[in-house]
Amino acid sequence: MKIKDIMIKDVTGVLPDCKLYNLLEILSRKRITGLPVVDKEQEVIGFISQHDIIKATLPNYLGIVNSGSILSEFIQLSKSLKENSHRPISEFMKKSVITVDENDNEVLAADLLIRNKVQRLPVIRRKKLVGVITLTDICRTLIKKRTDA
Amino acid sequence: MISTVTLNPALDVILEVDDLHLNEYNHVNEARLFAGGKGINVSKAVRACGRETIAIGFLGGGRGRIIEDALRNMGITTNFWHIENKTRSNTIIYDKKHNHHTLLSENGPLVNEYDIEMLLSIFYRIMSQSKIVTLSGSTPPGVPDNIYATMIDIAKNRGVRAMLNASGEQFSKGLEKKPFLAKPDLRRSNKVFGIEINQKEDAVRAAKEIIERGAEISVVSFKQEKDIFATKDNLWFAETTNHKIVNLIGAGDALIAGLAVSFTEDNNRTIEEAIRFSMSCALASAMSEEEEFDSRDQVTACLNCVNIKKL
Repeated sequence: MKIKDIMIKDVTGVLPDCKLYNLLEILSRKRITGLPVVDKEQEVIGFISQHDIIKATLPNYLGIVNSGSILSEFIQLSKSLKENSHRPISEFMKKSVITVDENDNEVLAADLLIRNKVQRLPVIRRKKLVGVITLTDICRTLIKKRTDA
Repeated sequence: MISTVTLNPALDVILEVDDLHLNEYNHVNEARLFAGGKGINVSKAVRACGRETIAIGFLGGGRGRIIEDALRNMGITTNFWHIENKTRSNTIIYDKKHNHHTLLSENGPLVNEYDIEMLLSIFYRIMSQSKIVTLSGSTPPGVPDNIYATMIDIAKNRGVRAMLNASGEQFSKGLEKKPFLAKPDLRRSNKVFGIEINQKEDAVRAAKEIIERGAEISVVSFKQEKDIFATKDNLWFAETTNHKIVNLIGAGDALIAGLAVSFTEDNNRTIEEAIRFSMSCALASAMSEEEEFDSRDQVTACLNCVNIKKL
């Protein structure tokens, strides 16, 4: 099965000069956790997720997330987010972005998602963003395929 | 790729009741939800023709996410800007006994300058993947009356043909930027540049005026399923025959979709062929209970029901 048949056909991306507070607003309104970073030609040049933001603004937060001191760290995190809110996302994004071609198959996408511990992969056609794929989409398709068979 | 812009989309809710009684309890037999808006309808028809399309515009709140999901399920690519306020809803109460349709239409949500800036940024990027863009329909509060003009400018600078289907100031200001094609939206008023469109002659005058003002191709509808098409040198009258119309909502959008599909296919269609195909799309839409038809076969079946006459 080709990725183009199961991907989410949404090409929402953010420019690298987008401010952190604007990005958080987009993620919250769209109820997603991350977005591809694109240039003005809609070519994918990075990826930014909530995880990247937390990691950059409060490096030890993720390490102690299961400890008893999570509340005080959370207060620190919100303070840090506020301080960094006017910085461009280019300072936080992953620049070595993993992408898949729309004609690749779902096994490759699943492998890349699991191996790299990421939730969403940008799907491209001739470098331009044409969609995103998540493990949920792949699982949903596999279950449907099994039910239909 | 064919891109469509819908600045004021709506979630259309159709509630079917047996016999509507005001001020009383009414049981709803069936509730159906549709993603609505002129540009969205164009995208639906383009997709039904088997072509790729990207829909952009403003969406907001849970209704916005329902619309986005519905479009993606149809295979339409989306890149909407999500605003703070919620997308409007059109509720249609269908009284089966009396065959009455009561429309309750909400105002569009307020958008701000930042929303407009963000949408134009998306528009600029999407043009890098587009061959044609359609700019259709009304605009919500807060949108400047030259937004379509701005978009036509951007599209032209990026080598993309713009098709304008709007009314009032949005139409006249857009026309100043000389779009590839212009079709006035006559739903609220049948007047274009002071010309009241009642007869064929009125439509011809309006179509010529639109060409004079800068469009390469103009389309003016008059009466049901009758249109005038004009270029600098030619005029055509087109009508559909031999059919049973079920639903005219979305027929004009299907016509725009048909033209966009024709002008972006590789087989060098003549304008007359494009007119025939677009009129067939409009007819296929008018013969469907839903706002748009489902497949290209329905369009092909209508090709012989179109009469075109060069004037």
